[in-house]
Amino acid sequence: MPEVTVKNLAKTFGDNSVLRDVTFTIKDGEFFTLLGASGCGKSTTLNCIAGLEQPTEGSITVGGRPFVDASAGVFLPPEERNLGMVFQSYALWPHMTIAKNLALPLNIRKVPKEKQRTLIHDALDKVGLADLSGRYPHQLSGGQQQRVALARALVYSPTVLLLDEPLSNLDAKLREQARAWLKRLQEELGITTVYVTHDQEEALALSDRIAVMEGGNMIQIGTPHEIYERPAAPEVAAFVGRCNFLTGRVIGQEGRRYRILLDCSDDVVQVDSDERVPAGHSVTVAIRPERLEVVAQSGTPSHVNQLRTEVLTSSYVGSRYEYDVRLGDQAVQVLSGNGGLAGEVVLVFDPAQALLYQDKVELPEEQRDLLTVTS
Amino acid sequence: MSTLTPPVRTSADEHQETFKPPRYRRPLGIGRDQVVQYAVLAFLAVLVLAPIVPTLYQSVRNRPLYEAGGAFTVRGYVDLFTDAGFGEVALNTLLFAGLTTLLSLAIAIPMAIVVVRTKLPGGRLIALAMQWPFFISSLILGFGWIIMYGPAGFVSIKVQQLFGGVPWNLYSIPGMALTEAVALAPIAYVFCANALRQSDASLESAAQVCGAGPLRILGQVVVPMLRPPIVYSAILVFSVSIETLSVPLLYGQPVKIDVFSTFLYHNGLQSVDPDYTMLGAASTIILLVTLTLVAVQAKLLKDAARFVSVRGKVTRPRKLDLGWLKWVSIAFIWLYVIVGALVPILGLVLRSFTLVFTPLQSPLKTITTQNYEIVFDSDNYVQSLWNSLIVAGVGSVLVSALAVIAVMVARRSTFRFGRAVEYLALIPQSLPGIIIGIGFFWAFALAPFGMGSVLQGTIYAVIIAFGMRALPSAFGSVAPAIMQIGGELDNAARVSGADWLMTFFRVLRALVTPAFAGALVLTFVIMLKEYSPAVFLSSADNNILGTTMLSLWTQGRAGSVAALATLQIAITAVFVALAGLLMKGKHHA
Repeated sequence: MPEVTVKNLAKTFGDNSVLRDVTFTIKDGEFFTLLGASGCGKSTTLNCIAGLEQPTEGSITVGGRPFVDASAGVFLPPEERNLGMVFQSYALWPHMTIAKNLALPLNIRKVPKEKQRTLIHDALDKVGLADLSGRYPHQLSGGQQQRVALARALVYSPTVLLLDEPLSNLDAKLREQARAWLKRLQEELGITTVYVTHDQEEALALSDRIAVMEGGNMIQIGTPHEIYERPAAPEVAAFVGRCNFLTGRVIGQEGRRYRILLDCSDDVVQVDSDERVPAGHSVTVAIRPERLEVVAQSGTPSHVNQLRTEVLTSSYVGSRYEYDVRLGDQAVQVLSGNGGLAGEVVLVFDPAQALLYQDKVELPEEQRDLLTVTS
Repeated sequence: MSTLTPPVRTSADEHQETFKPPRYRRPLGIGRDQVVQYAVLAFLAVLVLAPIVPTLYQSVRNRPLYEAGGAFTVRGYVDLFTDAGFGEVALNTLLFAGLTTLLSLAIAIPMAIVVVRTKLPGGRLIALAMQWPFFISSLILGFGWIIMYGPAGFVSIKVQQLFGGVPWNLYSIPGMALTEAVALAPIAYVFCANALRQSDASLESAAQVCGAGPLRILGQVVVPMLRPPIVYSAILVFSVSIETLSVPLLYGQPVKIDVFSTFLYHNGLQSVDPDYTMLGAASTIILLVTLTLVAVQAKLLKDAARFVSVRGKVTRPRKLDLGWLKWVSIAFIWLYVIVGALVPILGLVLRSFTLVFTPLQSPLKTITTQNYEIVFDSDNYVQSLWNSLIVAGVGSVLVSALAVIAVMVARRSTFRFGRAVEYLALIPQSLPGIIIGIGFFWAFALAPFGMGSVLQGTIYAVIIAFGMRALPSAFGSVAPAIMQIGGELDNAARVSGADWLMTFFRVLRALVTPAFAGALVLTFVIMLKEYSPAVFLSSADNNILGTTMLSLWTQGRAGSVAALATLQIAITAVFVALAGLLMKGKHHA
């Protein structure tokens, strides 16, 4: 199983640059996910690996074989790359039976008929659909179609498996089951897999490593744990999971611990960080809702960070309570196990659980309006 | 639950079976995909430029192209505006085309509004009736109008009897324009009706809620939104009437009114010693006019996309109630359909079964099949019937296939010159039929290796010229049908190891068959009705229905013309009905 190396990949359409200097390496047998909102360039990256799009700059090498190298004028067309790909729409050829769909790539590879039969049977067996080989795609459910598409992509033992949001057309419950099943299948086969999704939960659950993309840039590559716990940029923190952003100014520092004066409420909070920020500099404190806690005012004040707040709304979301609390003129989200709180409460958090970013995060205007609390 | 089927295999034994990925030969870095794509580009370029370039060349040569030893000259252009009276021709054309445009819009716009936007009994029937020009060529319509409304026409004589005079004169520019407008109104109607259907009905509801009455809504909300389709279809109708030959030829010949197309016809065909230099110059000027119009039209269509109020989402508009006005509109619409199309066509059919067709004597007295006997007894006429069927039959298959390939290259490949292929396939739209005829006539004279003399005067020449003329329609009908097939199907095949050609043959061919069949029906009908490029390409051997009817008409044999016209309409109707049945059956299978 080969390694996928992508170097300085860039793609422009006229003046519009959709991909900028993207570089990453996918290890042998790894489940690698490209995560981002629509239009971030993740599908373009995948299509460049597949050969369906030609990058303007950069190179892609798979298992030592150059697929594309813009500076050297190398471009291997998709049909010669020997990849397997599952599309968002599954792209099963509607006028062919399931067996014929799987047979086509084998025919192209001139595999003998006998061998084809076993291969097709094995591949369908792998996805649990061996008895449906005579059906037409439209006679199958969405979930079945998705698995047939996977079988078709695997039947000729491709070097790399490319998955373009394969689960997005399934309904929520089925999607979760299909996700777990896909993960097991990939581990079983050990095939190098590139997965494209905009669903952060899916990415966290499936991947060995995730690359978060935004606006054509790759902003962080890391394991799901790193991506969630140590997001390299506020954009990552905002996109993967939920996050509160509080802007402020550094007013003091002792080792790793910073003292920060918040803009919204003039409270001072303490945050641990490896970032080097000079005093007086603007910063953003990012805290995930589940790392915040609200306690009644009478609660034990053993915390470093205690902020006086007021509950705006509270809702029970099953297993947890979700609070919107007012901190100065800003609304802050909290996920807590403590139910039934109202009125004046104390917001507490551990300095190690908050993230510190240089400069102020500019939230989109619409989002800022929604988070601003007047009166 | 089958979703949870555990994967049974282990990876170890699985990955020993690897297959060689497909390899495609690329000598000099050019694969067979590119070879095919460049071949399509080259073929279309030759096809489209073949009639244009010789025309431009002839316009500046002082001798016919088939004669050796010509020299450069601008005499053609000078003569055109000094001796030949081309200025008057241009003025006539402008008047005719302008009036046609105005009249057809005056018919089409109110009709589109009342049919689409108001409650109208029999609205669906009207929408269906508006498709009649698909079956009937403007040549046949012209015959029908003359038989009914011409100076010696059935209706004219009846009116003469009743009122002692006929208040109209068909053989005039307004007469021509009225007939042409009747034939072209459905084009404008389709554009306006589609725009109305697409526009957001809630805009009207909003006006209604504000207290506006139906007439105010129509005037202040609906009509202003129609501006883009009106402008667009006005230009389309204008450019079609500039190039049309049928009606101006039939009406203008007796009274010597010439427009662009008939000028070319008379100077090229009816003069003893045609001045080809001047003919080339005139063709060049007309080409410039039509190409400019199409360029303007394309530009407007691009901008018009910005006007579309809502796309995709289907809104079911609440139709307005016009009250007593609705009966006025119904009367107006049926007046158009009956007087404009139904009466002339019925007259033509009746004429084909009678010897004398006049209100002075009951047509039933002379009822006969003699007109048909004359047609079927003459080898020439039967031959032209067969020729028409062969041209339409063979031509429609070739053109539809070419259109499918051109769409595949233009829209479904990464071919660098895909856009160029599309433009080339659409350019013939702006080439007047008669100029295509003249152009190919000269092209055959210039063609290397004596290819021209092989084609000249044969049915193949007619197939090429008609095919080229039908290509834009075929392309226009195939492109949206193919674009509906999801692009991921191609991508899936490419990633699975098929190159572009194999993707087409193994996967897409079956899926594009309905689009191909649709184009086949369309182009068959178009090519069966077509005749104007043939007037310059015809010989005794390759006459088709249109050219035969035209020459019979000049001989004054209206009965035989009516019989041939009736046959052509009948063939079209039967063919379309059969095709409809066949495609329906296929759909269910």
